[in-house]
Amino acid sequence: MKSALLSIPFCTLALIATSLTSCTESQDSQTTSTSPTTSTQSPISSVIRINSTSQNWSPSQPWNKQASSSRSALGAVLSDQRILTTAAMVTNATYIELENADSTHSIPAKVTAIDYEANLAILEADEATSDNATDFFKDLQAMEISKPLAIGDTLDIIQLEDSGMPLVTSSVIRTVDIISSFSAGHYFLTYQSKASMQSASNSYSLPAIHQGKLTGLLTSYDKSDQILDITAPEIISAFLKDAEDGQYEGFPSLGVAIHFTVDPGFREWLKIPDELGGLYVSKIAKGSAAENAGIEEGDVITKIGKYDIGRRGYYTDDNYGKLYWSHLIRGNQENNSALDLTILRDGKEHVINTTLTRPIEKLVPANTYEQAPRYLVKGGFIFQELTYSYLRAFGTDWESKAPLDLVDIIASQEDYQEGRNKIVLLTATIPTPATTGYESLRNYIITSVNGETIADIPSLINAFKTPDQDGLHTISIKDGTPETIYLDATTSDTVDQELLKRGIPALSHQ
Amino acid sequence: MHHFSRLKRQNPAPSSAIAAFIVSLVVSLPHTSSAAPEANVPTPQQAAESANIYQSIVRIEAATQTPNFSEPWKAGGFSGGTGTGFLIGPNLFLTNAHVVSNAQRLLITIHGSPQKHPAKILHIAHDCDLALLQVDDFSYFEGLKHLAIGDVPKLESQVRVIGYPVGGNRISVTRGVVSRIDFSTYSHSLLDQHLSVQIDAAINPGNSGGPVLQDGKVVGVAFQGLRSADNTGYMIPPPVINRFLTDIKDGTYDKYVDIGMNEFPMFNPAMRKKFGLAPNAPGVLVARIIPESPCDGVLEINDIITAINGNTVDAAGKILIDGEKISMNEIVERKFSGDSIELSLIRGGQAMDKTCTLKPFPHAKIHTVQYETKPRYTTFAGLVFQPLSRNLYAAQKFQNTRVRKLYANYVRDALFKEREDLVILTRILNDPVNTYIGDFTGSVIESINGEKISSLQQAHELLHPEETPDFFVIRCEGNQRPIVIPGDKAATASARTEARYGISAPYYLEK
Repeated sequence: MKSALLSIPFCTLALIATSLTSCTESQDSQTTSTSPTTSTQSPISSVIRINSTSQNWSPSQPWNKQASSSRSALGAVLSDQRILTTAAMVTNATYIELENADSTHSIPAKVTAIDYEANLAILEADEATSDNATDFFKDLQAMEISKPLAIGDTLDIIQLEDSGMPLVTSSVIRTVDIISSFSAGHYFLTYQSKASMQSASNSYSLPAIHQGKLTGLLTSYDKSDQILDITAPEIISAFLKDAEDGQYEGFPSLGVAIHFTVDPGFREWLKIPDELGGLYVSKIAKGSAAENAGIEEGDVITKIGKYDIGRRGYYTDDNYGKLYWSHLIRGNQENNSALDLTILRDGKEHVINTTLTRPIEKLVPANTYEQAPRYLVKGGFIFQELTYSYLRAFGTDWESKAPLDLVDIIASQEDYQEGRNKIVLLTATIPTPATTGYESLRNYIITSVNGETIADIPSLINAFKTPDQDGLHTISIKDGTPETIYLDATTSDTVDQELLKRGIPALSHQ
Repeated sequence: MHHFSRLKRQNPAPSSAIAAFIVSLVVSLPHTSSAAPEANVPTPQQAAESANIYQSIVRIEAATQTPNFSEPWKAGGFSGGTGTGFLIGPNLFLTNAHVVSNAQRLLITIHGSPQKHPAKILHIAHDCDLALLQVDDFSYFEGLKHLAIGDVPKLESQVRVIGYPVGGNRISVTRGVVSRIDFSTYSHSLLDQHLSVQIDAAINPGNSGGPVLQDGKVVGVAFQGLRSADNTGYMIPPPVINRFLTDIKDGTYDKYVDIGMNEFPMFNPAMRKKFGLAPNAPGVLVARIIPESPCDGVLEINDIITAINGNTVDAAGKILIDGEKISMNEIVERKFSGDSIELSLIRGGQAMDKTCTLKPFPHAKIHTVQYETKPRYTTFAGLVFQPLSRNLYAAQKFQNTRVRKLYANYVRDALFKEREDLVILTRILNDPVNTYIGDFTGSVIESINGEKISSLQQAHELLHPEETPDFFVIRCEGNQRPIVIPGDKAATASARTEARYGISAPYYLEK
């Protein structure tokens, strides 16, 4: 068996957004260690080190994990022995350890709530492997979450030297914006400030403190323009509130794609009066809050709650001034909360009552973090479900590098929905006696096996249980050349046993 | 994927669609002849014969103008190059199509003579990269030897390549052996695959169109090299040359015809069992049929072709011709439009014979590079619309997944039935009416004022109606937000952008 035949370009997945690439070399620390804002307690008693080891699954050989990588950061100590950090820090973690500032205590930890969209996670001591949590937390002081700040307020970013000494960088909030820090396409309220930071031993994601209270987490630092992105306290508060009952749900969404209404010709056609702004609804997600509320493609959203929406989608926030409309949905609201939208349809105003919900799972799931890829190895054919992780393995420019038919599914998932929960692919072919002549087949969509429509990997596994009377499996491929391929049931079973002997730990995962 | 480069010497060309395809070979060292055995030193008689042959091998200088597919109203860029050609009959010079494509002026020079003779193209075949030229005054060439076309040379046999490659102005001769005989892509059109012969003689830019000789006969026309390997040259073998010369006998070149199906090898034991084929039984699977192609309606998917015109087809789809195993397509390759192909096949376990009449299949044109073609386009309020073609694709580098998919599947999914053209919004020339629609560049036009768009002509008519509508509403595939241009502002915007951006003609629609 030649592993070279499984030649999907490899690259690390998912954690691309784990920013804070390097806070190195800025030795001209004019803003470092200067004058921390007055605080009632030493920040050192409210921050701890987090060391995590994570491993991603191999996109081409889904039974394997890739090499592990380690990262470290500082977490903020909250009440009830909870630690707040970013989702990026603990995604796909195989081991997480908490360590106090002077490195005298450490305990294993587990994730109790995580939001990949807002890039936040709560850690707690892992009771299963540690019984000295009380000991660990006894000298630590819990921080409260600060109130929303304003542009011009000062934040202290906490780092720790190897010695355990704090390194505090003060910076002033310059802008407030809606930014995506981890999962592509998910934007949340973020403070931006400017400071020159230096590299310290723990510099992955860091607490930002204002007057002894936790304001946010530093999610990214751009070394070249020295811009710091800090999650806003509203987002953290909403996250913590959602997690209180132990059942984390996540932030709601409306489920619309929008276009601005700046273009005068477009406005004229839409009959939008000059005094109104508005967002043109170009697409509505199936099963979304917008669809349920009866919003239609072509509607123009002019008001969300009490706020007028401008031509470029900005409203005037009571605290921050101009903010992008999505904050009114994703930052301000809980799941299942009601929200009135004012829309313009054929030039007439309507008020639409919406109930905000979580977006429904798509054929190609937005993320598959923590989940081992589902797969089946049959006679040398490797079947997997299409995921973003799989597509991203084609490289950073996967949208042009990955097979066109797969990229196209992303944009037109509705066309594939019938009879499917997921898209099942033949991702690669290991040359075996069963796959002779089929070695070049890969990245084809499977439509049916032995006459049964394939909805996902479990249904595929099931369909392979019943070969025809001649002992053959019949596999139908969408737009394949050829359209149908065959496997000898006996030969492929023998091959499967051989593959197990050669080190594939399991023939399937579902 | 191999990267072929054609062997015309190219003058520095201005940026243009076609120039992007041409990659000059790095001039490699000439093949050393000192290692040649004693016996190969020519006798005086042979030397005289060679000199005789040299006279019939001419240098061709082309001054070209390459159409501009990026800004189609502009005159194409002027450029030029040199290649080789040879006399095969009275006032008939054979060369490569790519040596003379898009030529505005052609000059032919005889070996050792300073005089340049104006010439013109008699026939040009872009699908097999061959062209026939004639000079305005043949009197200078009277009495010169006409080179005869021979047979496909045997593997390992020695051949001579003669031409005018880089590295000097006089004629150059290199030797090599025939290394491989196979089907490969002809890079001039980027789509067509024909028989080609690989030789290990040094072939360099400028050799294009020159003869490859064996025993005094032409056994190939040197035409392309391989960028990733040294000393691999490719030549067009006699079957392709002869087909071209036969095709033009009626005065026009009718192009290759294709049977229009994809085969899949019958190697897999389970698949063979399914189709009831004995272990050594011949036959290849029909895996895909191109809609409206000659075999559409004759063959069916899952037919097994066992013989073509009496030649047994093996499990890989190959047949034995002249002692060489080559693709069964070679039978079709040597045929012409209107000819018939006899196919023996097994369908559902039953043996049967079918006849397939070959005919042209014009729809694949979208995937081949076009030459001597003036780009079609229309403009409206600063928006530029062009039909999708290989040339446009090369000029624009489309990222839009929808455009890429429509282009890739245009033939496979028979999109040509409903859409003669895929009309693309290729460019937006900034104007007050179109300031906010920049991100629509590179999209396929789906409809204009509610009418589905199937050709550039139709789009042009809808954008320039007799009665101006209140709004022009243009929808692009995959984008639900339409482009809206108020009717009362369109005409002024068109006039303004034409003047401001120097659009000499607002449209060109002729095919």
